[in-house]
Amino acid sequence: MTLRVLKPGLQTTVQDAGRPGNLRWGVARGGAADTFAMALANLLLANPLSHPCLEVALTGPELEFTCELSIAICGAEFDLLHNRTPVGNDQVLQMRPGDILRFGGLRSGARAYIALAAELAIDRRMGSLSTHVIAGFGGFAGRALQAGDQLPLRNCRIAKTRSLPGPYRLDYRSRPLLRTVDGVEAHCFSENARQQLGAGNFTVSPQSNRMGIRLNGPPLPQERAPQQVSSALCPGTIQVPPNGLPIISFVEGQTIGGYPRIAHVISADVHRLGQLTAGTPLNLETIDAEVARQIQREKASLLMKLPDLL
Amino acid sequence: MPVAKRFEVLPNGDAAFDIRFSAEPSEQLSETIIALAEAIEKAPLDAVTELVPAYQCLTVCFDPLHLTETTGLLDALVSLTQTALIHPRSIAGTRNLIRIPVCYDEKFAPDLPALCAQSRLTASEVVALHTAPQYLVHMLGFTPGFLYLGGLDTALHCPRKARPALSVPPGSVGIGGQQTGIYPQATPGGWQIIGRTPMALFRPDQAQPFIARPLDRVKFVQISTQEFAQFDPHSEPEKMPLSALSTRGVQQ
Repeated sequence: MTLRVLKPGLQTTVQDAGRPGNLRWGVARGGAADTFAMALANLLLANPLSHPCLEVALTGPELEFTCELSIAICGAEFDLLHNRTPVGNDQVLQMRPGDILRFGGLRSGARAYIALAAELAIDRRMGSLSTHVIAGFGGFAGRALQAGDQLPLRNCRIAKTRSLPGPYRLDYRSRPLLRTVDGVEAHCFSENARQQLGAGNFTVSPQSNRMGIRLNGPPLPQERAPQQVSSALCPGTIQVPPNGLPIISFVEGQTIGGYPRIAHVISADVHRLGQLTAGTPLNLETIDAEVARQIQREKASLLMKLPDLL
Repeated sequence: MPVAKRFEVLPNGDAAFDIRFSAEPSEQLSETIIALAEAIEKAPLDAVTELVPAYQCLTVCFDPLHLTETTGLLDALVSLTQTALIHPRSIAGTRNLIRIPVCYDEKFAPDLPALCAQSRLTASEVVALHTAPQYLVHMLGFTPGFLYLGGLDTALHCPRKARPALSVPPGSVGIGGQQTGIYPQATPGGWQIIGRTPMALFRPDQAQPFIARPLDRVKFVQISTQEFAQFDPHSEPEKMPLSALSTRGVQQ
């Protein structure tokens, strides 16, 4: 029982919840860039939220199935063909031996998640199946999938055909508004610079990846030199290096940083960074940290309620 | 005399606190930070997900889903930090001296000539100064297995590159500012590259993926290009336990 890779796409990787707890060793959490979309796809198949799945980025793969199993795709919207039939996201798809799943043009978002009603029969590295792309370990052979790869599967099963209720369908067409809390070194920047950052002046640079989302725009001047104290960087932290162009730390980011932090994308919105494409203008809104944590609890409870609604 | 008289606990985003000490980086401060991390780990604080030591700071990440409010966690961190400063604890585990082979041959050292010009030292003087100290591992971070080392000879301090290299080969040994270190992976890098180790610093396939822990010491040992070629990157690193006595008095 395998999943054959006919075409790999730009960067198709095995991902799960990553390796939390290893920041102290320089190992970023990694895992799915959009954990929320991954969770939705898994819940459709009655899998655990972070069951290992395939993350598809910008250009999708072409995959051949050699056994009967169910899959579900959530996240970025691509033109999808199941053999010759156009199919959509957010529903359980039944695959049979010889069936081919083809990703075509990208309609919205940046990353889709293919959840499998099966287990990937590959070894864990540091407790996870996720591919750490930058450090080249984990996942399938420590890298993104290549044409000719055969992913071994076990315990393939058929899940009930069903789809996500309307309110759970993600849409990435609108201009993203991300919520932030003040950065540790926000005081090093003028009020004006802080407003500049969130007012739609910055767009996502094509040089963004799982390590960091780089922003292009008018360089942000630093008003006061920070007390340069290096400390841990978490996904969502927005640093401003000397060139004034902010970088948002992402899932495979450096674990320690020393540039002044102007703001942090709230934990509940970090998953949305996974759906940003180059050129997208960013709007940011500062909120209170306690509110940020409440939003995260609400998002978690939305996922908890979903199984009963399916 | 406590290592730091003052500390502050600051939010680092919405899911972490930084415990920052007002003291210069030192071995004693790193010992305090590691001991504090061990104490927090033992305390009944279920929401804590990560403990990340740095030179003058310990970051404590937490899961907001395991807390209804952060005041209790904040109070506990303040109290544990006060205790750690007043009653320094000994740290669990043996500290080791790890020998890391480095080839300083010109083909692995593109920036050595620039460093020589800047420091007015010959290449062999640079190598002698770089291989002399037992460097202290303050922490790991940046990328998997990267060691932050203390103890670089002041004669070797040099500015970072104005334009960072887009990619440095794994194992590259560099100097940037007052720091020296090894890039474990091919990553962009702003340090002056003066050599390369054939030893793998990150071994995700093994039960122990890292060659050193905080408070260990590291010594660079010069090898030839021939020894470099013959070296097995995954061979067990040469480790020697450090007795309490020999860990004192090493220059920072």
